[in-house]
Amino acid sequence: MANIKKALRDFWYGKPHSAEEGGRRIADLYIQPTGLYKHREWRGVKDTLYYFYMIWLYNYIFMVKDVMVMGGLVNFVKGVWRYRWVGQTYLPVLHWFDRGLEGMRGEALRGSAWHYRAMVSSTIRQFQRMFASDTRLHGGKQNELYKRNIAHNETVWGGVFYPWDGEITNVPLEMIPYFVTCHVNSHTVLNYIDAVQSIGLPGDPCPMCQAESGIFVLDDVPDFAPAVVTCNEACDASVSTSTLQDWFFDKPLFSLPMPMIFDDPLVKKYVMREIEELWKFIEDQYGIPFSWDKLVRKLELQNELQRFEWEKWEVDSKSSYYPINGVAQALYRIYQSQYGDWEIWHATDKKVRKIMEKCVSRKINTFPQTRHRVIAWSCAPLYYSNWCTWAYNCWGLNVVINMDSLMFDMTIRTDSYENTLEDMAQYHMWAPMRRMAVGGMKHMFELWEYMERFNCDMVAMYDQLQCKGVQGLHGLFEDEFRNRNVNAFWIPHALPDSRTVSRAEIRRLINDYMTTVMHEEPLDPSLLDFDDGMTW
Amino acid sequence: MCKLGKFLLKLLGVVALLNVALFCVFFFDLDGKFLFHVFEPFMKNHYDNMARKDTLKAPYDMDKFPKYDYNS
Repeated sequence: MANIKKALRDFWYGKPHSAEEGGRRIADLYIQPTGLYKHREWRGVKDTLYYFYMIWLYNYIFMVKDVMVMGGLVNFVKGVWRYRWVGQTYLPVLHWFDRGLEGMRGEALRGSAWHYRAMVSSTIRQFQRMFASDTRLHGGKQNELYKRNIAHNETVWGGVFYPWDGEITNVPLEMIPYFVTCHVNSHTVLNYIDAVQSIGLPGDPCPMCQAESGIFVLDDVPDFAPAVVTCNEACDASVSTSTLQDWFFDKPLFSLPMPMIFDDPLVKKYVMREIEELWKFIEDQYGIPFSWDKLVRKLELQNELQRFEWEKWEVDSKSSYYPINGVAQALYRIYQSQYGDWEIWHATDKKVRKIMEKCVSRKINTFPQTRHRVIAWSCAPLYYSNWCTWAYNCWGLNVVINMDSLMFDMTIRTDSYENTLEDMAQYHMWAPMRRMAVGGMKHMFELWEYMERFNCDMVAMYDQLQCKGVQGLHGLFEDEFRNRNVNAFWIPHALPDSRTVSRAEIRRLINDYMTTVMHEEPLDPSLLDFDDGMTW
Repeated sequence: MCKLGKFLLKLLGVVALLNVALFCVFFFDLDGKFLFHVFEPFMKNHYDNMARKDTLKAPYDMDKFPKYDYNS
């Protein structure tokens, strides 16, 4: 009788999380080493149906709709056939959802999934814009869309193009062919890393820069814009990428520098002038004048997004009612803050606000098995950005905030041209991997302030093994962790390259820390050791 | 039963069947299995064997475009 009762309870509510409660043993669902599921997780009637209808089916339907509306099916099929990074990567996107949302229940499942939906829509928008304008897919013809696009490095903030909103579309060169692919299907990028090494370039620089160059070496970049804007972010390896891009792209190119030392008013003046130069370059190339009104309107919209982000952080830092998991928080925020204002972010924030307000008003503990509140610092392994989902399911480590979310902690004044330009320069200089990764010790050590602000008791410290800038700070962090008596574990990785430190190795390091230092037992022992070597 | 009623019943049946079929695809991860075992290997084979331009043969015309230095 007790067994029947338990089976009915498990059917209705889903199996409980922890082993003590007769837990769900998530890894038993895997077909190792593929990462496929024998069957997807049964999360109870309500959450399984929500996942089926509102995540799985909804996203498949809306992906088709997005493809149709933003560039059409023909361009999509041509693009899939021509470019490896889209055909090999983006079709299994629902498995990216599965990995990031594994084990989530209730409002945490809903809030996090809406973040994923926004990223998918924005990704489709970008690659469809590339394909619709691509001369390679249109018999070498430069169509009207081509003439209204500008290409740029993904680390150039989309906000510098706001003055031409609606007239010129900025499409980052690498965000979709490189950055997002690593999260969705970590196999694709390896082709590009190998390609750049095959022409004799050394294997030890940042693999991000290697991959970004490798796409060009393999001739896998759409020709979608008449001009390009590059920048030296995040390091000297990026400068080399820009050189190769200049060679292979062979287009008018404006280089928007990012200073290495930026806490200096004189340097800021220099960057302000550089941004103004970029604006003149765009006016020259496209013959469309700068619009102050458009700039202000878009910045105000972006400020709206930032203000809501601050509201989210307030709930996240002061309560256990925050409905976004670690990976959704990190990826959505870096995507949105780097790409710049876009309608989908506002629509998503509206939905997430509703969910968050429900959690707060009803005092819903969204991650009830939290044992430690973790802050993740430095840049994350792109091929295992969902490690924090695993860490919560296995150990109750709840990654409440991360460095990537916190980089652009500012709104931009729009009261005068001078103030606006000054704040834009600041935003530009606080770019990903610049402010808190290679931006000097002061910014690296902002960790301690944020740790306190977000009420964290543990640090997950990323160690990008091929980033020379961060390597120099490893020992300093070790000393500080000891002096401050902070619980911290290291996650070594090589950004997009899953061959250097595997996912299994990352899990082993965390397992070792949790057992030998923290003396804790796993919530779900099935997740301690499993083979996911072939997982997307 | 009127024709409309029969039609609605049939429609309901088709929708229900479609739901069950889609739920089976979802629950048993058939989409993932298809993409992993069939679609991805096929596409990889296609991309691996694609004729590609040797980009290294392109000349690097460093002076082809001006410097775009507006402040000097």
